[in-house]
Amino acid sequence: MTDARVFFNFEVTADSHTLSAYKSRGGYQALEKALKGMQPIDVENEVKASGLRGRGGAGFATGVKWSFVNKQSPVIYLCCNADEGEPGTYKDRWIFEHSPHQLIEGMILASYALHVRHAFIYIRGEFDLPWRRLLVALKEAREAGYLGENILGSGYSCDLIPHQGGGAYVCGEESSLISSLEGFKGYPKNKPPFPAVKGLYEAPTVINNVETLANVPWIIANGAATYAEMGTEKNKGTKIFGVSGHVVKPHLMELTLGYPLKKVIYEDCGGILGGKALKAVIPGGSSSPILKASEIENITLDIETVAAAGSMLGSGAIIVIAEGTCMVRLLQVLTRFYAHESCGQCTPCREGTAWMNKIVTRISQGKGRKGDIESLECITKGIMGNTVCALGDAAAMPVVNFVKKYRDEFEYFIEHGRSMNDGRLEI
Amino acid sequence: MSCLTDKFDQVASTYPPEMRPSLVLPLLHLMQKEKKHLSEVDAIFIADYLGVPSMQVKEALTWYTMLYRQPVGKHVIKICRTIACSLMGAERLINYLEAKLGIKAGETTPDGLFTLIAVECLASCGTAPAMQIDDTYHEQLTEAKIDQILKELS
Amino acid sequence: MAVSKSEGAMIELKIDNQIVEVQEGETVLQVALRSGIEIPSFCYHPCMSIAGNCRICLVQVNGRPKLMPACNLPVTPGMEIETHSNAVIEARKAIMQFISLNHPGDCGICDKAGECKLQEYHMRYGDYDPLSIEPKSRMPKFYNLSERILLDNERCILCSRCVRFTREISKTNQLGIVERGSHSRVERLECATFDDPYSDNVVVNCPTGALLSRDFLYKSRIWYLETVRSICTGCARGCSVNVWRRNKNWYVRGSGADKNLLAYRISPLDNPEINGPWLCNKGFDLHKLTAKPRVLAPAIAGRDVTIDEAIEAARQMLADAKKPAAIVSAHASNEELETFKNALGDRVAIYTRQDYQPEAGEVVEDSFLIKADKNPNSYSVQALFGNQPFDAGKGHDLVLLWGDNLDYASLGGARVIHLSSFEESQEQPASVLIPISTFFERSGSFCNFEGTRNNFEKVFDKPTLVQHAGDLFGRL
Repeated sequence: MTDARVFFNFEVTADSHTLSAYKSRGGYQALEKALKGMQPIDVENEVKASGLRGRGGAGFATGVKWSFVNKQSPVIYLCCNADEGEPGTYKDRWIFEHSPHQLIEGMILASYALHVRHAFIYIRGEFDLPWRRLLVALKEAREAGYLGENILGSGYSCDLIPHQGGGAYVCGEESSLISSLEGFKGYPKNKPPFPAVKGLYEAPTVINNVETLANVPWIIANGAATYAEMGTEKNKGTKIFGVSGHVVKPHLMELTLGYPLKKVIYEDCGGILGGKALKAVIPGGSSSPILKASEIENITLDIETVAAAGSMLGSGAIIVIAEGTCMVRLLQVLTRFYAHESCGQCTPCREGTAWMNKIVTRISQGKGRKGDIESLECITKGIMGNTVCALGDAAAMPVVNFVKKYRDEFEYFIEHGRSMNDGRLEI
Repeated sequence: MSCLTDKFDQVASTYPPEMRPSLVLPLLHLMQKEKKHLSEVDAIFIADYLGVPSMQVKEALTWYTMLYRQPVGKHVIKICRTIACSLMGAERLINYLEAKLGIKAGETTPDGLFTLIAVECLASCGTAPAMQIDDTYHEQLTEAKIDQILKELS
Repeated sequence: MAVSKSEGAMIELKIDNQIVEVQEGETVLQVALRSGIEIPSFCYHPCMSIAGNCRICLVQVNGRPKLMPACNLPVTPGMEIETHSNAVIEARKAIMQFISLNHPGDCGICDKAGECKLQEYHMRYGDYDPLSIEPKSRMPKFYNLSERILLDNERCILCSRCVRFTREISKTNQLGIVERGSHSRVERLECATFDDPYSDNVVVNCPTGALLSRDFLYKSRIWYLETVRSICTGCARGCSVNVWRRNKNWYVRGSGADKNLLAYRISPLDNPEINGPWLCNKGFDLHKLTAKPRVLAPAIAGRDVTIDEAIEAARQMLADAKKPAAIVSAHASNEELETFKNALGDRVAIYTRQDYQPEAGEVVEDSFLIKADKNPNSYSVQALFGNQPFDAGKGHDLVLLWGDNLDYASLGGARVIHLSSFEESQEQPASVLIPISTFFERSGSFCNFEGTRNNFEKVFDKPTLVQHAGDLFGRL
């Protein structure tokens, strides 16, 4: 088992994001290798063989997604999903801030594999430093001949167009991203057809997360087999995890998939703030089911193991919650988030998220009523599986799991009009 | 407005010509940089420039949270209120800012200097609590840090 | 775009355990609608793009727990659909809860009651007791989208049918949905009004009482009304329409009995050959056309006479005339034109005209429904009599004028026998004036500009002294 790092393999300095720094650590060699000696299908097969799965949260096999595209189509688009908005997630911005060329090289390689001429980077509008560093890096890459016509004399041409979002979490959903990129509100689209068949302006489109694409240069340079040596049987390679919440040292770390969760919290992040006990962990961003402290004993960070425990690896955003936190008020923070971010297109999500937020807010203000918990359970059942996109499910999951696992706190708040834990969210 | 259309032309030239409607959001951002907040007239201006229906741009203007339709202060303070920041004291800091500025979230100070908005996750979860003033991120906030930042902007 | 019924292969699948033969390229909802299988839908419309936002059409596919919207579900061989499984029934209940979560209980004062899809589905698929104890959201309520259309955002279920209509059918893009999440609402541009020449279609299309016609507002509960098939005479397209009149079981007695002779409103009648399910605003105003002041009594030189006196005078004048002419109306029905030709075809010089020209401010012609010829039967007139505009220089001493909107003074001094429906002011009274019926008062047919024949039926009895033109010609 190699302990190779795909991302955190250099020291971050004031210049480590520049082209010269990137080249000095082997950057753009994968691109040269591919353009000089590989066919597009070879690149796709290499990515398939590596076992790389989407790093944005859905975990779909990347090479397989690429294979769905009909390469004979006159126009094919690639879009990098940099609309990092899942609460708890802050890993993609690191790539823009410190290794943007890694993403650029990955995108050119992916575009080559997919026969793409114009690729897009849909980056959330709020990002400031990531956006500025991306623009500088794109300029550097263009001037060095890695973008534009006839790259490195290979005959292959490609342009990457950066595009800022407008402040909408739902635009991280791939069909919503497409709607937004087409000049509309970010309304997700009904599937079928899937984006790989009919996406941006009805052309076949592949949407990949930043981290997913930024893995590609390493895979091409070092070979799929080397990548596949790392990780678990079904979840290969490494992933960037970002810890936040009640830990001493919240930070980003690149871990081989299959790393123990407890080790992350107690060793790598220095344990819980204030020496408190652990209450709960949300392992993969706010949309993933919350796990009680007792449930994380044997969890390793890979898609299958976390799923077996009843949650999701998701985006790799590990949110740590210490003893003493009021789960009712914490849920209200989430229901408020989803109600704010619901796009409004389909009935269950538009009405359901607002309704759940009203109920949970009422409870958290001491105005809970008997039957509120049963109502919440009913609403989540009415939303899940019935919406156009996964935001509905993402909004319902926290409600389902918080109520299931901390029912006593909700009942207490309703009966007594106040929190069981003095309403704390902060330590 | 003509120098605005020059700027529009410049952005448009970076996109493939068949993707002209994609410019709706970039041009709304561009226009907001100039005018600080936008109204329906501005949406129609952009629609006419792009050759898309006015209603399409109007819908986009009302849907994206980064676009303002009411006047904002010289500096817009956007403080995160989502889960990681809440666990690290966002509520305390929002109350602090409201008391310090004398306004509630969503309002502008009477001198027109600051607008305070509570926003959703800014992807600064490891360095929570965080806020964004205009374009700049400010992370690992404390009351003292907020005092310092606001002093420099006043 | 709507999924088209392409020339696909025929495949078999099961719906509710029944084997159904369907065409490749169809969706499950399309199959259900044409086979009489019950799957509810709000946002689906066969002529517009698939929105898939209401979620009421969710069905169970191959027993899987995740339900799929039938409107966006392409048929595949061997598919097994259940439209009434427990999962589907529970889902429909949940969707109805969500749809009516903030819906005001306006039925008692809402015009749509009785023809409201929301009411119908609520009774059929919803739960009687609402789960929510939250106060309902308030939205802009009951205001003018234009002088013709009322919008009530609280009643709206955001199915987007009206928005898609202005985007895809009338192509004016005047309606949109603004704001996000539960704040979403239908709106028009602030700086413009909803002056789409096809605006009234959104009232027909709206599944709730969110969009209402100001003209019809509070005039009647719809269960007192019934429809009669007719044709719009506003232009040569001749769109099929329904005229709504009072059902005779609900006739008003005593004061207000004039309501029994009222055309309450007009709605499009789906005619795939001519107008599909659409109608322009002029068509929606058809009942105003026929409500103009009528000629109700025969007259000779302005003096009221009996009908027999008038007909006799006319007959005599025709017999005595040296150079009689007749101007045929392009509003005449095919049947009337036949009768005219047989009775008078050889006895008079026949001229034709287009009774009505486009008025100032009226859409002349467009690429959708509206034609420049503002008369319903020019086609048949042309087929029978060619194109012969009246020539005042030919020295006609008598003109049998059939139809309205012509100045007697342009007839070169000839004496006029006027078969007229609507009152109008002329410098001199006609020599003989005979009131004739409108197309609302008899059955018949028109041929539209493409020669497509279309039938209309009698809506009201004609007033007593008014004659059917077809009955007159034989007596002249």
